[in-house]
Amino acid sequence: MRLFFKSALWRGLVWQAIGWLAGAIFVTLIRLVMGLQPLGTFFFTEPAWVFGSLVGALTFLAGSGVVSDWYAWARGIETPEHREDPDSWEKYINVSLDHKVIGIQYTVTALFLFVTGGTFALIFRTELAQTGLQFLSLGWYNTFMSLHGIVMIIGILVGIGGVMNYLVPMLIGADDMAFPRLNAFSYWIVVPGVVLLLSSLALGGFDTGWTGYPPLSARAPVGVQMFFMGIIVAGWSSILGGLNLIATTLRMRAKGMTAFRMPILIWAAMATSLITLTAAQLFGLSFQLVLFQRLLGMGFFDPSKGGNPILYQHLFWFYSHPAVYVFVLPGLGIISELLPVFVRKPLYGYRWVAMSSMGIALVGFLVWGHHMFASGMNQYLQVPFMYSTLLVAVPTGVKFFSWVATLWNGKIETPTPMLFVLGAIVVFFLGGLSGPPNGTVATDLHLTDTYFVVGHFHDTIFGGYVFPFFAAIYYWFPKATGRRLNEKLGKWHFWLFFPSFIVLTLIMMRVGLIGMRRRIADYDPALGLVDYHIVMTIAAYLIAIATAIFIYNFVRSIKHGEVATGNLWNSRSPEWNVPSPMPVHNYDEPVEVIGEPYDYGLPGSQYVRFGTKE
Amino acid sequence: MEHTNEKDAFRQGAIVFIFLAVLTALEFFIAVAIGAVILLVAVAVIKVVLVVWYYMHIYKLNRDATGDHHSLEYKTDTFRLGLWLFLLSDSFVFGGLAVARFNLLGLTRPHLNQFLGLIVTSVLLLSSFFMNRAETAMSHGDRRGFSTGITVTLVLGALFVAGVLGVEWPSAIAEGVTPDASAAGAVFFMMTGMHAFHVITGLILLGTVLRKGRMGIYTAEKHWGVEAAAVYWHFVDVVWIFFYPALYLVGKLL
Repeated sequence: MRLFFKSALWRGLVWQAIGWLAGAIFVTLIRLVMGLQPLGTFFFTEPAWVFGSLVGALTFLAGSGVVSDWYAWARGIETPEHREDPDSWEKYINVSLDHKVIGIQYTVTALFLFVTGGTFALIFRTELAQTGLQFLSLGWYNTFMSLHGIVMIIGILVGIGGVMNYLVPMLIGADDMAFPRLNAFSYWIVVPGVVLLLSSLALGGFDTGWTGYPPLSARAPVGVQMFFMGIIVAGWSSILGGLNLIATTLRMRAKGMTAFRMPILIWAAMATSLITLTAAQLFGLSFQLVLFQRLLGMGFFDPSKGGNPILYQHLFWFYSHPAVYVFVLPGLGIISELLPVFVRKPLYGYRWVAMSSMGIALVGFLVWGHHMFASGMNQYLQVPFMYSTLLVAVPTGVKFFSWVATLWNGKIETPTPMLFVLGAIVVFFLGGLSGPPNGTVATDLHLTDTYFVVGHFHDTIFGGYVFPFFAAIYYWFPKATGRRLNEKLGKWHFWLFFPSFIVLTLIMMRVGLIGMRRRIADYDPALGLVDYHIVMTIAAYLIAIATAIFIYNFVRSIKHGEVATGNLWNSRSPEWNVPSPMPVHNYDEPVEVIGEPYDYGLPGSQYVRFGTKE
Repeated sequence: MEHTNEKDAFRQGAIVFIFLAVLTALEFFIAVAIGAVILLVAVAVIKVVLVVWYYMHIYKLNRDATGDHHSLEYKTDTFRLGLWLFLLSDSFVFGGLAVARFNLLGLTRPHLNQFLGLIVTSVLLLSSFFMNRAETAMSHGDRRGFSTGITVTLVLGALFVAGVLGVEWPSAIAEGVTPDASAAGAVFFMMTGMHAFHVITGLILLGTVLRKGRMGIYTAEKHWGVEAAAVYWHFVDVVWIFFYPALYLVGKLL
């Protein structure tokens, strides 16, 4: 415990509180001097809360020490290039420059966020089991519903950061990321962002959903400002992480790793990073504009001042649609990465799969309008957006074709990671099939804002992200710890999680078609949906139990798991051909790529070799 | 494209600046006389290409990436790639603001002080020229020239900020273009404010680089900090090359 109070995490949080308070008091004093109302509904006024939250985020960074090297450089002081971490758990709550430590920090933070966001979902799912309002007020329902969405989204982005940070340098045979300090910064900026996001609970919450559309968000409680600030702060993690991954991939690859000898996951990382690097700025910008509209009365989205609420939706979805490809591309990469290992066959159509990731990312920039078919945007935009949306099915279909062809006639083994891979393919297939009805104007006008959409995107995100994320944890856990997760608990996890989830989302789509609207706290008993809702609520609890089993397994296996230091899965990838847990500087001898990455089952073929000096 | 001596570098920098100045004047007269948006866009693009190629040296990104991953040269190339990726990312913020401007205002513009607009634009262009001087001076090991160049850039940059925040904003408010009056005011203050924020961060970078240069940390071979500050400063100029016509020249007065 004493170590905790000396950690960067604790120092940062204390400094964030101090900075926040100081900023808020500063604005309050200025308001006093200017003769404005000094105090508001939640003690401080809205400008005071917002300015304080910005100061707090900055003091967090200063207090945690993640920017201290840069500050030293600016003053002309040299710092050592590497910092050695202590060999104990405390390195995980202190600033580390090691990409493996940062990857684990990200992953654990992501798990924390999933549990938090999942708890919010359970709360309002329980409320929905019966018609009428049982224990939530309308405001709290909206707040939990909105926070569930955004906490899960941040959790997914952070989880992707975890997978990418941990794996990309290893898979390309590098020691670390291209910019280790930027990498640490990208992680640590998430923490104050999450604090801001959750602080909205105490400041009246917000009722806009995670999309934050004005004019509703322009008159929501102060909580919505904390939501905006949280995203603006934490969003830098995604942007700078993407920058770092692109630079790492372009500059740090092992000798002989040409573009078409890169693992599929690296292709996926590149495609994802291109989106987060560029489009993510517009996510922050759209929130920033609403933030200023609230603070200064700027009329960007206020029609009475000549503003345009539809503009917000364009700016917002320009990122937020490609964002779903940010969520799923790494997951689809993990599927392609793991399938050949457990089928013992080469990945079918490697080049096509590699290019399909890029294809999805690039087409993804042109489809945002399909979220706005019912918004009143220009009608002549509807048909082009419809066709560009349906075009996404082509590269996605390439991936499915490759997976099925890889499975064909393979020697399929089914340890837990493979179960999750197969589950991911099935669930993502359901998500994929339910997509075109939403992307087609004629049917979408009927389906907009119904539970059908909710079922669709839960299927795509779980199939494209959550299942592969679990697969990746089961698969690479031994690499990080030298021990493996318990297989029996893993099977329990999967066989509870997978069927409950399928039941949940299929019923979501069903009730959506009958007329259940999304984002609402109550529904008409005459719709006859109560039984469906009870089943969905039970399924949600089963999912929660399955996740609890996983968390138990995760925590227990760190110390008590079965020891696994060798090439547990018999993989060709370089990281499995050195002992687990991974050595501090990854590869003692330089890695050289001399063959194709996925030629499983071809006698005599080799992907990497170690120790050839130039 | 690498310069053999400092004289050639000076000549090149000066010629590029003259082109930029002439194009800016041309732009102004196009707006006054013809008002053809397509010509304004064309002139802005030409200006940006000049700055990106001759002042920001984008071609350096294309260097051969072979060699020892731990050598200084290889690392500097990686830093350069990272900086350009950041600028790409940042340009989406400004792009988003430009989209907002044209979505909300179309081919109309707020009532602003034209004379002042031309002055601050010239000041920023001139600062880019001196930034280029400072960087080329350092790459030839000329510390004196470097210090002078950076100091002049700093002063001009500060003048730009003072002109926009200290003179232009009050005069716009006096004309009735306030942040909360109309979408036009909101767009104007958001665009100039976001740009001024970048200029101010640029000034902080320049101050840091100047101080480190005085401490004797940079050499002709090793001065990535100077190059980074220079490229960032020129980028801020590039943004203004688009924002100036978007705010002052394009379209009819509201």
